[in-house]
Amino acid sequence: MVKSQNLLTEVESKELLKKAGIPVIEAKLARSKKEAISISREIGFPVVLKISSSDVVHKSDSGGVRLGLTNATQVGKAYSQITSSVKQAYPEARIDGVSVQAMAPPGVEVIVGMSKDAQFGPVLMFGLGGILVEVLKDVSFRIVPVTERDAREMIKEIKGYPVLQGYRGQKAASIPALEQLIVKVSQFVEKNPQIEELDLNPIFAYPDKVVAVDARIILE
Amino acid sequence: MFEERLKEFEPIFYPKSIAVVGVSATSIKAGSLWVIDLRSAGFPGIIHPVGSSGGRIADHEIFPNLRLIPGEVDYVIVSVPRQSALELLDDCAAKSVKAVHFFTAGFSETDTQQGRELEEQMLEKARQGNVRIIGPNCIGVYCPEHKIPFLMGILGESGSVGFVSQSGGVAAKLVTIGIARHINYSKGVSFGNGIDLDASDFLQYLAADPKTKVIGAYLEGTRDGTRLFNTMRKVAEVKPLVVWKGGRTEAGAQAAMSHTGSLASSAAIWSAMLKQAGVVEVHSLEELTDTLLIFQQLGHGQGTRAAIIGGLADGGGGNSVAAGDACMENGLKIPPLSFETKQELTDLLGEVGSILRNPVDVSQAQFRGLPTLFQAIDLVVRDSISDIVLIQEDVEILLPIYSRQGLEEINEFLIELGRRENKPIIVVLPHGSGEAERLQIEQRLLAASIPVFCSMERAAKAVFRLNQYSCRQEAK
Repeated sequence: MVKSQNLLTEVESKELLKKAGIPVIEAKLARSKKEAISISREIGFPVVLKISSSDVVHKSDSGGVRLGLTNATQVGKAYSQITSSVKQAYPEARIDGVSVQAMAPPGVEVIVGMSKDAQFGPVLMFGLGGILVEVLKDVSFRIVPVTERDAREMIKEIKGYPVLQGYRGQKAASIPALEQLIVKVSQFVEKNPQIEELDLNPIFAYPDKVVAVDARIILE
Repeated sequence: MFEERLKEFEPIFYPKSIAVVGVSATSIKAGSLWVIDLRSAGFPGIIHPVGSSGGRIADHEIFPNLRLIPGEVDYVIVSVPRQSALELLDDCAAKSVKAVHFFTAGFSETDTQQGRELEEQMLEKARQGNVRIIGPNCIGVYCPEHKIPFLMGILGESGSVGFVSQSGGVAAKLVTIGIARHINYSKGVSFGNGIDLDASDFLQYLAADPKTKVIGAYLEGTRDGTRLFNTMRKVAEVKPLVVWKGGRTEAGAQAAMSHTGSLASSAAIWSAMLKQAGVVEVHSLEELTDTLLIFQQLGHGQGTRAAIIGGLADGGGGNSVAAGDACMENGLKIPPLSFETKQELTDLLGEVGSILRNPVDVSQAQFRGLPTLFQAIDLVVRDSISDIVLIQEDVEILLPIYSRQGLEEINEFLIELGRRENKPIIVVLPHGSGEAERLQIEQRLLAASIPVFCSMERAAKAVFRLNQYSCRQEAK
């Protein structure tokens, strides 16, 4: 557990991002099993449940994420399992409840992040999700403000770029939609200097659009 | 752009009078050398030595104090212990000096509280007194046009390349390599710790300076990254800017901290910043000088489709193969010669012993005399499949075959051909046993605006970078 007073929950982070025009899968906070089920019905199945706590940074490590829940019974069960396993892993964590969101169809996984550099201020990072970013460090950086041209260059710069153009039956990702997202994230962090770190991981990229599936914001 | 900088920096690069503080009539001090070097270089303004010893140096009276100099002082070079820095700034303010260069070291680069505090106090005094500071911990300004030499009196020809360097050692190497390779500078500056005027200020000045056509920079860090980024972006819009960032590894970054007190950002972020700003990034002194040379000689890129003549005589086969690899690996395109050119070359040289594709090996011409060689080169250069031609001349092989005079004729032909065809020709002169002749040929070609490199790899990299900048400009 990383104790961070300034970590916004996924629900809070996504609300801010949505207001800034950045496409996200909206998440709603459920404080009880009953609430989780009613929100799920409202959104429509399948749904995803994740632990909501500003004390838990890595949600899936502590059993705090359940994907592909297709009915009310599964949602109710997942609610109990998530809260109990997080309580077990992190007895001191304050738990707000569980976030409920629609299960996005699979797309090409990419990530966009922002961190602050001692000399250049906010810097955006772009990469493909999963092993390519973690093991091969196949990422590109640009200093904020990032223009459309910068965004295009940072997308094309990564070695894994051909993956975005469609690969072995996987559909291509919309490069213009990715560019737009990067530029909007740049504008968002520029307008909000109190943001210390931001992570959109993963973002699902489709042939016609992109959407951030998980998001995390840390304030100064 | 940045035109307001021209007037502001006039007293720094074109001072009417320079005072040198830290001069002695009796012992050899750094200050005394500045005076002697300025004089021998033929500095056209007035030189005022200052030092507590009094007396005379090189026909100049040594004033015991800056304030006692009659008349105005534009620029001051300081080589006194750091303890006297603050008092000296008071003297400069009282004398309405425009800018002061501190050769003196021992400030923030020592990573001590004392060093940092002293810099802060100096800056405060300078701001109050309306004096600009260059340094401390640096060798200052180089302006061959105004006969301001670099440390140890180095003075080359005046030209169109400007440079800024955080390091004095790198700056001095830029100048000496420049003298050896005809890279001629408009202005240069080593600004060390850069507590007042730093890379951004000098880059803005060089962007505005009408004498400067291309700018090179060696940097280790910056105190204001955002300003540097914004400045570089604007500068690169108007002039090619080539930057070598030192301290890219942990070992280098630690050395940079003790060298110029620079904080480290990761190499990846620096590279991203430079690319985003439209800067051409290089990774060594060799690459920096190669790139500045090609910009000086050719101005702008016309494309990366290269025709390569790997061999003019014996040994051309392997050289051609290696040259092809070197060029492709460094980003150049090597399209095959047109059918017509290939046919004409075959008629001229025969099929045996030549490679008549691209790269081209025309070594069979050696048995048919110089006119045939010229005809072969002419055919390759005139083929419209290429934007640029790279020709390798291995002097130690060519000399016994063509003799000195033959080699000279070959080079005069290349110079004339390049002009006639309006297509850049680059000559690669590898090192070898004919070094004395090689150097003479290099000088002759460089003077005729032909870029010369000692290996195909270096030539290819330089061509690629020239076009990298031009492509980005065109893509706007």
